[in-house]
Amino acid sequence: MKSLADVVGASGLSGYAIVALVLFVFAFLLILIPLVAPSRDAEFEADGRLPLDDLTPITGRTPSAQPTARPQPHA
Amino acid sequence: MEAHLDSFSYDDEIVRKFLFATLLWGVVGMLVGLIIALQLANPAFNLGQYLSFGRLRPLHTNAVIFAFAGNAVFTGIYYSTQRLLKARMFSDALSRFHFWGWQAIIVAAALTLPLGYTQAKEYAELEWPIDIAIAVVWVVFAINFFGTIAKRRERHLYVAIWFYIASIITVAVLHIFNNLSVPAGPLKSYSIYAGVQDAFMQWWYGHNAVAFFLTTPFLGLMYYFMPKAAERPVFSYKLSILHFWTLVFLYIWAGPHHLHYTALPDWASTLGMLFSVMLVAPSWGGMINGLLTLRGAWNKVVEEPVLKFFVLAVTAYGMSTFEGPMLSIKSVNSLAHYTDWIIAHVHTGALGWNGFMTAGMIYWLAPRLFQTNLYSKKLAEWHFWVATLGILLYVTSIYSAGITQGLMWRAFDETGRLQFPDFIETTMRLMPMYWVRVAGGTLYLAGQIVFVYNILMTWKTRPSAYEVPVVQAAPLGKYVPKQAAPVAGGAWARFTGLLWHRTWERLPLTFSVLVAVAVIVASLFEILPTFLIKSNVPTIASVKPYTPLELAGRDLYIREGCFNCHSQMIRPFRHETERYGEYSKPGESVYDHPFLWGSRRIGPDLAREGGKYPALWHVRHMQDPRSITAKSIMPPYAHLLTQDLDFGTIQKRVDVMAMLGVPYGDAINRAEGMAHTQADAIAAEIEKAGGPSGLKNKEITALVAYLERLGTDIKAGAAGTPVAQAPVAPAAPATPAEKPVTTPRGGN
Repeated sequence: MKSLADVVGASGLSGYAIVALVLFVFAFLLILIPLVAPSRDAEFEADGRLPLDDLTPITGRTPSAQPTARPQPHA
Repeated sequence: MEAHLDSFSYDDEIVRKFLFATLLWGVVGMLVGLIIALQLANPAFNLGQYLSFGRLRPLHTNAVIFAFAGNAVFTGIYYSTQRLLKARMFSDALSRFHFWGWQAIIVAAALTLPLGYTQAKEYAELEWPIDIAIAVVWVVFAINFFGTIAKRRERHLYVAIWFYIASIITVAVLHIFNNLSVPAGPLKSYSIYAGVQDAFMQWWYGHNAVAFFLTTPFLGLMYYFMPKAAERPVFSYKLSILHFWTLVFLYIWAGPHHLHYTALPDWASTLGMLFSVMLVAPSWGGMINGLLTLRGAWNKVVEEPVLKFFVLAVTAYGMSTFEGPMLSIKSVNSLAHYTDWIIAHVHTGALGWNGFMTAGMIYWLAPRLFQTNLYSKKLAEWHFWVATLGILLYVTSIYSAGITQGLMWRAFDETGRLQFPDFIETTMRLMPMYWVRVAGGTLYLAGQIVFVYNILMTWKTRPSAYEVPVVQAAPLGKYVPKQAAPVAGGAWARFTGLLWHRTWERLPLTFSVLVAVAVIVASLFEILPTFLIKSNVPTIASVKPYTPLELAGRDLYIREGCFNCHSQMIRPFRHETERYGEYSKPGESVYDHPFLWGSRRIGPDLAREGGKYPALWHVRHMQDPRSITAKSIMPPYAHLLTQDLDFGTIQKRVDVMAMLGVPYGDAINRAEGMAHTQADAIAAEIEKAGGPSGLKNKEITALVAYLERLGTDIKAGAAGTPVAQAPVAPAAPATPAEKPVTTPRGGN
């Protein structure tokens, strides 16, 4: 019985590197296309500000869910 | 109706712990680095067998990578994750377990590496019990991290968190698969992979350890701490996402560029080069994004040491990620490989990118964590300039050394002979540059000591009790997309509507699985053919397993860290074959668990060492290298002539090798006796030649047996013609042709 190594070895994958490259670039583009959509600009702008406020959540809130007052530090 | 608000506080105690560990291990790692720099400039600094270059070099790399940079990463991750997710860490107990577990691993490394316990794989030297501990601690860290994501109060996962997720997942995958081995003792194991496959796995790991331990987590820190320090958002959040996905997709393929012109199949090497060259785009995109974050704030750079450190760190990231792709181009690599050029490249990244990102981050964190002012801005400035000068001295001298080495090795004179046939000539030319490196390293270490002093003095002025701010935020409800209505216009409209993308960006589990798939699929694409296609690793009929004594000698070669200075891989270049002999074939290392091709030539290649010198020459050379080669920088190994060889462990080691598929024949039953027979013959030959007597039970006989065997099998065959007649890992029972070990090759 032929082993997996025999089967793969006999399959003649001379263009293997190119096939791997093309497949990967395709998957990569699929993920990245949405990035260039102008409709998301405002969203990205808000997301990019996340590190600037350590205390107040910025995304995923409804207005009523915002804290009513700034938290006060205590010892 | 008022929404329910959770009250919580961040755990900064764990951040302070990791911060102090970063400072401590930074000094230790850099001090060891300075010692090994001195050892290369003057071998007198090799102070005994436990503190020789071969044992300290892995201690240096492990200390700076996993202890210094590792603790720095954890400092930043624990601080930023809690704030970006608006949640305390999932479990304080797990945080503490992570901290103490990681420090215990570092201490174990600091003890075992000088004692010679090593797997001989760069950045993965630690032996199997410590590897298991690393896996456990890493899983605990992952549980704590993902548990925090699960209870977060911020819907969007900021891009820094993406970088952390990719690092955690990929490091786990890399660590587990590269360290698969079979124990042969409490602190001894053999890799399950051999030769070409082991080399491939190691550099898949080695390159991606740099990528996912020293790059992606630090990029996460950059995307959090640079906006904080500049008090403005990152220049382009879109670009940061592009940066992330491009790195995740490309980095994992790049490893084979470490093995250009070796016995690795050419297609794999080319694929690695291709992806490495592409890496320059996202890396520079990230660098530009980092630097442009300071738009409108460049005036602050003049006044703020924190920003100075960040600017230089990001610039160093840009420099080293331009140089990396360039070095991966085969023609450039043919000059740079095995030389100090690679060391200079690594240190641009380590000292500039990792070291300065860490310094900037800690200078920014210290006043906030210790709730006081920084002790001295002047000292921080002093640290910056002294360390910058140190980096410049280090890298310029070592770039010069690397290029000098590479050019001298390949130089021919007008008669067509090697211009510098004695390897030592090329070594001697580097000595002034090695001393400049010592000066650079000293300056960098001095800066680090000032840094530690400054932070400790800051800590001393902390309040008697830290204030713990209470944060209030509503828990996250179930995510309901705004755009719930069906999108008209067919599949393309739905695709470009981007709802799908937005949705899985918010789902950490889905996101993590996608990252894991990208990493694993890329790895399998590259690795599997090397394991499955026989023609990639043709076996050679005349290549036989090492005898039991040679195997013991190989283990001593590993223990002493000889692979840190000597390669065993002759590339198919005329200047290499003229100097060392026939180029190395993939089939020659099919029984090498682990492979010992090396990555650097501080000394000459040893792939064809066997048969070049008599046994006594090796004894004298090991005892005192400078008695053979006056200017040699090799440490002495006189202890090998006095320490007894542990014959009792040989049988177990042969058995493990046999379990891994090495056709050991009779040796499975009588390895110890065979080792004694061969050792007796070698000791008699040494004595007959006028050497010392009584060496038959000493370690030196095993090492001589191994060195005398290196590269000789192929000469016994049909002049190196590959014969694909046996599988790479033949199963027992062995055929008669596979029983060379029944007659040890005594008296080489």
